[in-house]
Amino acid sequence: MPPIVEARDLTKVFRRPEKDPGLAGSLKHLVRRRFTDKVAVDHIDLSIEAGEAVAYVGPNGAGKSTTVKLLSGILVPTTGEVRIDGLHPQHDRTAIAHRIGVLFGQRTQLWWDLPVRESFAVLRDIYGLDAATYRKRLARFDEVLDLGEILPTLGRKLSLGQRMRADLAAAMLHGPRVVYLDEPTIGLDLQVKDKVREFFRTLRDEGTTVMLTSHDLADIEGFCRRLVIIDEGRIIFDGDLGAVKDQYARERILHVETEQPVPVEAVRLALPGAVITEGETPNQISVRFDRFVLTAGHAVTALAGLATLVDFRVDEPSIEDVIRRVYSGEILFDAKSA
Amino acid sequence: MRIYCRLLGAHLRALLEYEADFWILAAATVLMQVVNIVFLAALFAKVPSLNGWTFWAVVMMFGAVALAEGVGSLFFEGMWRLAWQINMGELDYFLVRPYPVVLQSSSALIGINGLSNIVVGGAMIGAAIAHSEIAWSPWRVAVGVLLLISAIVIKLSINLATNSVSFWLSSPSPIFAFAVHQVGDLARFPLSIYPAALKAGLGIVLPFAFVSFFPVAYLLDEGSNRWIGLLTPLVAVYCAAVALTVFKRGLRRYESAGN
Repeated sequence: MPPIVEARDLTKVFRRPEKDPGLAGSLKHLVRRRFTDKVAVDHIDLSIEAGEAVAYVGPNGAGKSTTVKLLSGILVPTTGEVRIDGLHPQHDRTAIAHRIGVLFGQRTQLWWDLPVRESFAVLRDIYGLDAATYRKRLARFDEVLDLGEILPTLGRKLSLGQRMRADLAAAMLHGPRVVYLDEPTIGLDLQVKDKVREFFRTLRDEGTTVMLTSHDLADIEGFCRRLVIIDEGRIIFDGDLGAVKDQYARERILHVETEQPVPVEAVRLALPGAVITEGETPNQISVRFDRFVLTAGHAVTALAGLATLVDFRVDEPSIEDVIRRVYSGEILFDAKSA
Repeated sequence: MRIYCRLLGAHLRALLEYEADFWILAAATVLMQVVNIVFLAALFAKVPSLNGWTFWAVVMMFGAVALAEGVGSLFFEGMWRLAWQINMGELDYFLVRPYPVVLQSSSALIGINGLSNIVVGGAMIGAAIAHSEIAWSPWRVAVGVLLLISAIVIKLSINLATNSVSFWLSSPSPIFAFAVHQVGDLARFPLSIYPAALKAGLGIVLPFAFVSFFPVAYLLDEGSNRWIGLLTPLVAVYCAAVALTVFKRGLRRYESAGN
């Protein structure tokens, strides 16, 4: 089966006027027009199979939102092309609109002066949904997103959490096959985040293709299997999320507290290959090791032979740490590995 | 069409929540048109005719412009928000819905002052017809209606085209479109009183003369070259095509906003 979303050599260049600050700068720009080109998305190739859940992450300004806008046909690419289910976003706009759902967490698509229920009804008419399907979907969304109190509320009177839940339902009302969720949990409190994440899982389990961009990597863990990392407009990683963790989050840190002080040299001898550091007191010690070289069990057993253990704890890096290290340049991927 | 009414109706309902606003706006628009008529009456009290055009002929031209503007405000006020929509990235969601972007944009607002403009404009045209000596026949009625619709289409098309210029500008307010709109007020007077350059401007470049002067001249069977009024439907088709092309071209330049 061909991929449902396909981007080839996708590039978007924005032209920005180059102005000196202040009114004088603006006036000068009128006479001498100078522009700089900003490459927001730089020759991206991406294909997503039907039913995949893809996490699309990158630092601010990396080109995440621009990619989503290109893939949904909002922006026209400078070069390259996009196909959704084989269709061209600009030529077959209406056909594509029925297939995709888009949510921009920063912006609502609800009518601000209408109750949410009315906004939904307008969308129902725009998408030409029949009454039975509409009712069925709304009831199902209500189960997960708890829309009850939201429906009679005016768009502009919604709290952020309510708004996001309503917007999620609005984006999914027409049963799109592909959804792009751009920062769908931004600014939400934990309780609402949990609800929203549960909603993602129902989407995925029903076979909807999901592309999720988020700053909160907890949105991604346990939901997406595939991870795509973009930086400065280029895809620097595209592969399995679990594989990334195996490859780049191998490090574990064992923190141990003992009854009597332990000589560091002895520990070093007992655990070759691990990095030993002294803690704040002579009774504390930290052991940093690669989990493919040494297991936590081994380390604990070795230490128990040297002193009586009072307490111990193992820290493992989250995917967040890995991605932070990618951003800071600590991890460099050789082309598209994994 | 049904969806368009739905989109507009949504705003109308919200608007009617504020009854006072509604009546004040309506009264203000009626007042503006009354001022226009008082001005005309005062003018014609001194001069019996304006370059050969009677008071009632000019009232009809005023009425046609008011009516066309009224239809624009009541049903397509959202066009005046296009610059804002472009700047704020509001077209993002329009572009992913299965409904023409231009109609989603133009239905984004309802200008209730349009209602009083339509009523007053219609009354002005009605009164002018009552005072004219048009030999009415079914054919003439049909032509009259066609000319009126065409005139409205021309006004709307100019609104759309000039507002679409915002795709190329970065200002969040429709200054250019508003300036052109002001120029359109010149078309309330007979074109024949203006110098040649202005005639060409209003007849060809921004064909506001086809909103009022040419169709009225044809209907009243007055003035020279009255046959030009019959071209109004063609001009309307041309204007609509140009406006939609400009909009579509602009949409390709749309850059959205922020993230």
